[in-house]
Amino acid sequence: MAHITINQYLQQVYDAIDNHEGSFCAELLSFKHPHVANPRLQLASPEEKCQQVLEVPYDEMVAAHLRCTYAVSNHDFVEAYKCQTLVVQSFLRAFQSHKEENWALPVMFAVTLDLRIFANNAEQQLLRKGKGKLGDMLEKAAEQLMGCFRVCASDNRAGIDDSKKWGMLFLINQLFKIYFKINKLHLCKPLIRAIDSSNLKDDYSMAQRVTYKYYVGRKAMFDSDYKPAEEYLSFSFQHCHRSSQRNKRMILIYLLPVKMLLGHMPNHQLLRKYDLMQFADVTKAVSEGNLLLLNEALAKHETFFIRCGIFLILEKLKIITYRNLFKKVYQLLKTHQLPLDAFLVALKMMQVEEVDIDEVQCILANLICEGHIKGYISHQHQKLVVSKANPFPLLSSSS
Amino acid sequence: MAAKTTQTAPAANWSYGAAAGPEGQTVSENPEWEKARQALASISKTQSATKTAQANRTTAQAGQFQPAVTESTAIQQQQQQQYYQQWYQQNQQQPYPGYTYPYNYYYPMAAGPYGGGGYPPQGQYGVPPGPYPSPTTPTGQPPSLPVMDDQSSSYPSQPQPPPPAAPQPPPQSPTSSEQPPPPPPPAIPPNSQYPLPLGQNSYNPNNPMPYPNNDPNQMRGYNQGRPSYGQSYQTQNSYQQQQNNNQHQQQGQGQYGPGAGRGEANKNKNHQQQQPQQQGQQLWHRMKQAPGAGAMKFNIPKRPYVMTNQSFPPGEQPTGLAATPSSPAAAPAAPGGAQTRPQDWPQAMKEYVQRCFTACENEEDKDRTEKGLKEVLQKRLQDGSAYTIDWDREPLPELKAKQSRWEVVPTQRTLESSVGRGGGTGGSTRGRGGGARLGHYRNVFSQRSPSSSSSGSSSRSPSPSHNRHRDRNGQRHRRSDSESQSDSSMSSDLRTQLPRRNQKGGRGRGGDRDRGRGGGERGRGRGGRGNRGRRNMDDANSTVLGKKRKGGNAGLDFHDPHREAKKQSRAARFHNTKMRSEPLVLSINNLELPKEDLSWDDCPIVGTCQEITKIYLRLTCAPDPATVRPVSVLRKSLLAVKAHWKTRQDYPYACEQMKSIRQDLTVQGVRTEFTVEVYECHARIALEKGDHAEFNQCQMQLKALYKDNPSENIGEFTAYRLLYYIFTKNSGDITTELVYLTAALRADECVSHALSLRAAWALGNFHRFFQLYRRAPRMASYLIDKFVERERMIALRALFKTFRPDLPVEYVQSSLGFLCLDSCMAFLTGLGVTFFPSDPSKIDCKTSSACLAAS
Repeated sequence: MAHITINQYLQQVYDAIDNHEGSFCAELLSFKHPHVANPRLQLASPEEKCQQVLEVPYDEMVAAHLRCTYAVSNHDFVEAYKCQTLVVQSFLRAFQSHKEENWALPVMFAVTLDLRIFANNAEQQLLRKGKGKLGDMLEKAAEQLMGCFRVCASDNRAGIDDSKKWGMLFLINQLFKIYFKINKLHLCKPLIRAIDSSNLKDDYSMAQRVTYKYYVGRKAMFDSDYKPAEEYLSFSFQHCHRSSQRNKRMILIYLLPVKMLLGHMPNHQLLRKYDLMQFADVTKAVSEGNLLLLNEALAKHETFFIRCGIFLILEKLKIITYRNLFKKVYQLLKTHQLPLDAFLVALKMMQVEEVDIDEVQCILANLICEGHIKGYISHQHQKLVVSKANPFPLLSSSS
Repeated sequence: MAAKTTQTAPAANWSYGAAAGPEGQTVSENPEWEKARQALASISKTQSATKTAQANRTTAQAGQFQPAVTESTAIQQQQQQQYYQQWYQQNQQQPYPGYTYPYNYYYPMAAGPYGGGGYPPQGQYGVPPGPYPSPTTPTGQPPSLPVMDDQSSSYPSQPQPPPPAAPQPPPQSPTSSEQPPPPPPPAIPPNSQYPLPLGQNSYNPNNPMPYPNNDPNQMRGYNQGRPSYGQSYQTQNSYQQQQNNNQHQQQGQGQYGPGAGRGEANKNKNHQQQQPQQQGQQLWHRMKQAPGAGAMKFNIPKRPYVMTNQSFPPGEQPTGLAATPSSPAAAPAAPGGAQTRPQDWPQAMKEYVQRCFTACENEEDKDRTEKGLKEVLQKRLQDGSAYTIDWDREPLPELKAKQSRWEVVPTQRTLESSVGRGGGTGGSTRGRGGGARLGHYRNVFSQRSPSSSSSGSSSRSPSPSHNRHRDRNGQRHRRSDSESQSDSSMSSDLRTQLPRRNQKGGRGRGGDRDRGRGGGERGRGRGGRGNRGRRNMDDANSTVLGKKRKGGNAGLDFHDPHREAKKQSRAARFHNTKMRSEPLVLSINNLELPKEDLSWDDCPIVGTCQEITKIYLRLTCAPDPATVRPVSVLRKSLLAVKAHWKTRQDYPYACEQMKSIRQDLTVQGVRTEFTVEVYECHARIALEKGDHAEFNQCQMQLKALYKDNPSENIGEFTAYRLLYYIFTKNSGDITTELVYLTAALRADECVSHALSLRAAWALGNFHRFFQLYRRAPRMASYLIDKFVERERMIALRALFKTFRPDLPVEYVQSSLGFLCLDSCMAFLTGLGVTFFPSDPSKIDCKTSSACLAAS
């Protein structure tokens, strides 16, 4: 493949299209394929050549693709993005005309993936120049993807084997990536609904399902639906290909906080394996009820956590930490009627600033309200009265 | 294009005279319109030379044609031939040619009208004439008759109809030596001249001359004539004729063009001798027509010649042979000339073509339509009716009919080919066959032609219409004459054509003379057959040769089916693969960058309005500087609004004024500290009045403005933004905001407060939350007010669930940030909270939690 001529390349594309070799055709249009590094194909104006060899929508598609390789070789990602947009548009035109056949799905995967990547790069490039607004490029790309998605989702006539619906999940995953990046999680809802109502949802490729569950899990986490979040993310983590360590790590970044919130603490080994030692202190602090350590740990890795978007989630571990701390107080006092002052002392030991007895009551109220502590506060006696049976139920069983 | 040319080339070789065009077109068949275009282009190319020349456009051709027209009667064909001949021979017969030309021009003008009238003389042609008249009339007549009347009337009075004169005369007018370049305009002068030469008579004499010269042309005419004669196809014939004419014309031109070496020389001579104008025209022809028409047309006519040639003496044959060599030259020339311009086509016709193609359901239909249209349009264009026809009303060709044509056509072709082989009769058969083909067109055609004739004169500007008519007439005549040629061309293979070309070329010099004399005689004596004579000349050069040619033709004919098969396969190929007809252009630059759309910075405006206050109106058009206030005025405006706000607290007024200030700033692209000040001011006012929508607008703008205009209030408004996100519970945006918080910003009083508040809020630590609420800096409390109630409810729910047996109101008041007991009581009672009857200061949590849950 290396350094084939433009004519050879076009002939390959032509044959691939002619023979409906979707995967090969996808390779020829993908930037993951080495041909994009072939200087013979990096043409500023490949239109004429393409026009001579290829049929109508395809010539534009391939011409735009080649122009895109040219742009990429010049590190002009804005131009590359425009070209890729054209690629997707012309592909979509061809794709729409494919009645009851879906051989071109791999091509769609390739071109839409590249579209998103170039949108990302173009945006970075523009931002570096001080132009453009964050998310605009990606939003435009998302519109293109939605166009593809609509074509796929509306393919109701074709049989199950020839249905374009097999492309839905891939597109949804691409859209998720964009929506998560530009903080438009509310746009995910209709997509999730589309998959939920799909009879294919368990039949898509595992890779796509892993990705999908990863994003749905993240979304559930942000919506504070920790139980489903754990479910999705666990599925994703368990089924993620073992060689995709990086992906597994990404999944863990979200799965860990959710698990911790639900009372499952990761062990050191896991954190080390996936290079997530930032969580080590957090884990330790939470399980020990060491509020001080937790605050330190969060402050220490705040940037990392914020960038991962989990800082606010980890912050909620404080509640768990309170619970664990108060459980220790309970275990020390060995009584069911706990004076509120005891908790105040504990909190002050953890260097919580400006804490007073009212705040202790407030914190306890929240813990009781959320089911982390079984009991009640007697304001009159300034005591916490806890249940004699299992006053601190297991986190995993609560709520 | 390359493909096209290549294809066309082979086609030419093959003999599909007519087909050649289509093939080329087929090649190009991509988008319908493109197809049509190409087809038309091919047509136009071939025709264009003819058309342009013939029709008013290329006067040069017209000139040639016209002469033919004048002679048109029987002579028309001959004339055409003659013209050609003349061109060649003109040197010898200078006077005649010159005259003839004018005449022709005039005639053509009138000729169109003459159609009937002029033709009668053609009838003279003798044997052929008989048929001719009928054919001519049918063909030319339907359309021409009406015209003819008009023209005829004009004719008698003015043999050289002034109108035609205008376009045509120029080329024709001998006087117009100057005119040559402006052939069309000179038309008038020619008229004047015309009278002198006068032509018809003179023509006649000339005619003989031309005939001999034109022999080849005559040949063409012959063929044409025959078909018309033999067959009732008259209308068809007319079509054919038209086509033929076009072809002939084209051919003629093409011949000239191709012959360029010879033909041109001849032409030049002729022109010189005859008229400088003509030369100019001829040159024109060469330039345009020759190239375009050349290859295609030539090929076509030649065949017919061959057919007719049989009758002709062998002597001519040599010329024909000679011609073959020239053909190659012609071919190359043809391509260049082929470029007739579709642009010249009337818009209505283009639309008609478009409609035809859009009506097609599949590729086959398109193919048929294309072919059908080609032929029809060629004719139309040639005879000029294309410009007068009401295309809007023109019925679309029926696909079925087309199909039938298709089916028929092949047979016809074969027939024709066979006929061609057969000989003279063959010519007639061809004519019929052509007629049959034409028949398909007939519908369109017949309808069109009449309409064209009638409408043309009346509807469009008189002079042009006249010209057109004349041209048409001329064309018609030519058609009739040329019909045979066209037919031949139709049937004749490109290959045959090529040889003929060569022959012509060969003749060009030596042959022409022979033709000029001998042919002329023949033409006269034989009348219509004079044409034959010409052809005969070519063909005649050697009957044997002619036979050979015929044989060749036959071979070609035999080939025809193959060709057709090839054609179809080709067509199929192209159908399957829709190739782009228009050059692919990546419209990348048209994709607007999302962010780079209209920016006010691009079109700075400086306002001139001096009003301090201004009513806010949403802009619906470009701003008018007269209504926009400059910054200096806006500063006063801001002060005025602030003062007004402090004294009156009239929020609607303040908001409107602030919006109009903002608008003026935006329109003028002002993004300075003052802008920041305005937005901050408006944000605060909006905040104070709880207009969070307006506040958010300002706040978002401020976020952008702060990038360029850092203000001391960055912290304040960053804090507001955070609080606003809390209000909207947008944890995603909060996270993003956290990412961009610098240490310096975090240290800001407002920001740190907001962050603490956020932390308390996130953990449900309402005690701390309300403590912070009560210590809120600046206007933060206004924002917090937006969601205080919400948080209180949540807190109360937790308290009621947690405290047993009672909850003192005092604690609630302090924890939930109530400033006084009364407000707290009001809040609680508002919720329907129940108190212990024994102690109204204590809340009955158990029962109250129920009412809270209910609420």
